[in-house]
This record gives sequence, C-alpha cells and structure tokens, in this order.
Amino acid sequence: MWLLVIFCLLVGMIIGFQMPVLLPLVYAKYMSIAVLAALDAVFGGIRAYMEDGFDNTIFISGFVVNTLLAAGLAYLGDRLGVELYLAAVVVFGVRLFQNLGIIRRYLLKKY
Amino acid sequence: MRSKGAQVSIAVVCLVLGIMLAVQFKTTQSLNTDLVPARVEELTQKLNTVTNERDTLGEEVLSLREKLKNVREDNQAMADLQEELQKANMVAGLVSLEGPGVIVTLNDSTRNLQAGENSNALIIHDSDLLMVVNELKASGAEAISINGERLTSMSEIRCAGTLILVNWAKIGPPFEIKAIGNPDMLESGLLIKNGFVESLKYLGIQVHIQKSEEVEIPAYSGRMDFTFAKPLQYKEKAE
Repeated sequence: MWLLVIFCLLVGMIIGFQMPVLLPLVYAKYMSIAVLAALDAVFGGIRAYMEDGFDNTIFISGFVVNTLLAAGLAYLGDRLGVELYLAAVVVFGVRLFQNLGIIRRYLLKKY
Repeated sequence: MRSKGAQVSIAVVCLVLGIMLAVQFKTTQSLNTDLVPARVEELTQKLNTVTNERDTLGEEVLSLREKLKNVREDNQAMADLQEELQKANMVAGLVSLEGPGVIVTLNDSTRNLQAGENSNALIIHDSDLLMVVNELKASGAEAISINGERLTSMSEIRCAGTLILVNWAKIGPPFEIKAIGNPDMLESGLLIKNGFVESLKYLGIQVHIQKSEEVEIPAYSGRMDFTFAKPLQYKEKAE
C-alpha cells in the first residue's frame, strides 16, 4: 500500500517534470490551491483506507470536485476582490493535519 | 473494503497529484527567479523601444557602409554630400518644406470682459504659443512656422509689449501655426483631454485646428551666425 502510494507519486512527479508545460503566472495561484485540495483528498483517502471505510466513488469524486472547487473558489474570490483562497487554505490545511494525525495514530497502534 | 479497485484509484490519484505537484514546483521555481509582473511589463516596453532603436541603428549602419563605399568610388561621393547637405538644411530650417500636417489658428477671445476680470486673460500670450508649439513638437512635428516665421533651433517666442517676437519679427493675432507631421497625431496631441488647447478654449480663446494634406512651411530667412560655438574635435577616433 505505502509502496504503491510513494511509487505512483514519484512516477507522477517524474512525468510532471519532464512535461514541457509551464503554467502562466496568472494561474499559478489557482494551481497551488488545487494542489492543496488534491493533497487533502489523497490523505483523506489513505485515512479512510486504513479505517476500512474506503469508498472508491467518494474518493475519486472528492478528489476531482474538491480540486476544481478550490481553484474555482480562488478564481471567484479574485473576481470579487475577496481573498477567498485563504478560506480554502485554512480548511484544507486543518483537514490535512487532522488526517495526518489520525494516520499517525493508526500506524503507531499497528506497529 | 480493501479491494483492487481502491488500490487502482489511489494509484491513479497519486499519479495525478504527482504531476500537479511537479508542475507547481516548476512554476514556483520560475516565478522565484522571475521578476514581479509589473516590472515585466515595464521591461517588455523597454525591450520594444530598444529593439526598435537597434533596427534603426542597423539600417543606419547599412546606409553608412553604402556611403563609405561610394566615397571610395568617388563619383557617388558628391551626390551623397548633396544628400547630407539637404538633410542638414532641412534640420536647420534653411529650406522650404511641404507635406501633410495641421494648421492651427489662434485668435484672441471675443468674450466680453466680466467685471473685475483682467483683460490679460482674453489675449494670447507668448507662453500660449510656446505651449502649443511644444505640444506639436511632442506629437512628432518635423517643421513648424508661426505666421510665416520658421522655427529653428535658435528661434525665440517672446513677449514684446502688445506683440510677440518670433525670429525677431513682430507678429500679432491671429496666429497661424503650421506644422508638418502626421496630421492625426498632431491633432490628437493638441486635443488631448485636459490638454493645453482645452484650457485655451475654456478661456474663450478661439482655437481652430485644420488637418491638411499640403502644408507649406517657408525657410528661415534670417542670418545664422555662430560667434561662440565651434564644433568639438573628436579626441578619439570613431569606429
């Protein structure tokens, strides 16, 4: 399981670094929020997996929808002049740490 | 529910996440080495200017090389000298010129003087003419004359009692300023919002701008003496 996650992450990063894609500066901000949302979704998925409550549909849909929503929200905030992306950063940041804490406890219990 | 499907979806999502992370890394890296966007714009503009300048200089190099070759061939040298002379004369204002441009007519205000108002407010001053001429120059005018007096590098526009001196000739209203250049540029330069012409009109001074395809500007008719100035000798040899 862990090997799979790390392996896929590495492969993805290698592909990403080799890709000749460079985001325009304007979209870099939205991409960063999207990355945060994606990270949150993955950690949430791992946690659910360890809790045996993993649901494929929820996981995939959560990943896609959260990512797009976070980027969209940041964009909307920019249009409206409200720093909405801060909301996304706070929410995903808090959830990320919660998930990480739960995963850590599971791992401690296990070994 | 540790099915194979779950592992596959985690793998796929991790793959996508990896790609996103990598792209973001790259973008952030380039952002850090890059400059702030506002500066980028400024630099782009500067680059454009410099590129234009380089192109012009490149053309000049070509024509100078051509001339150098002609000098060596001798019989073309005279023609080149003539051409240079003509150009210098045009710059100095020693030849009459014609071309597209604008004719600006200024006349004193016909407004009745209000009680307590200074009559100075209604007439055209030397500074008004200077401002209009300056605006024309800034809009790319190549030659300017006021009431038939060609403006040269040594021309003055100066108040002299009830009249105005240009090239030591006394002129009075109505003033007719002729300028050769891009007519649209000249006109829009004058009519710019909150510009000088607008404030003149506000004072009631009659300003009339007419674009023309054929503007004739006479040559400077006076003497041009250099008593004090003499050309600087180049100490270093120009490449």
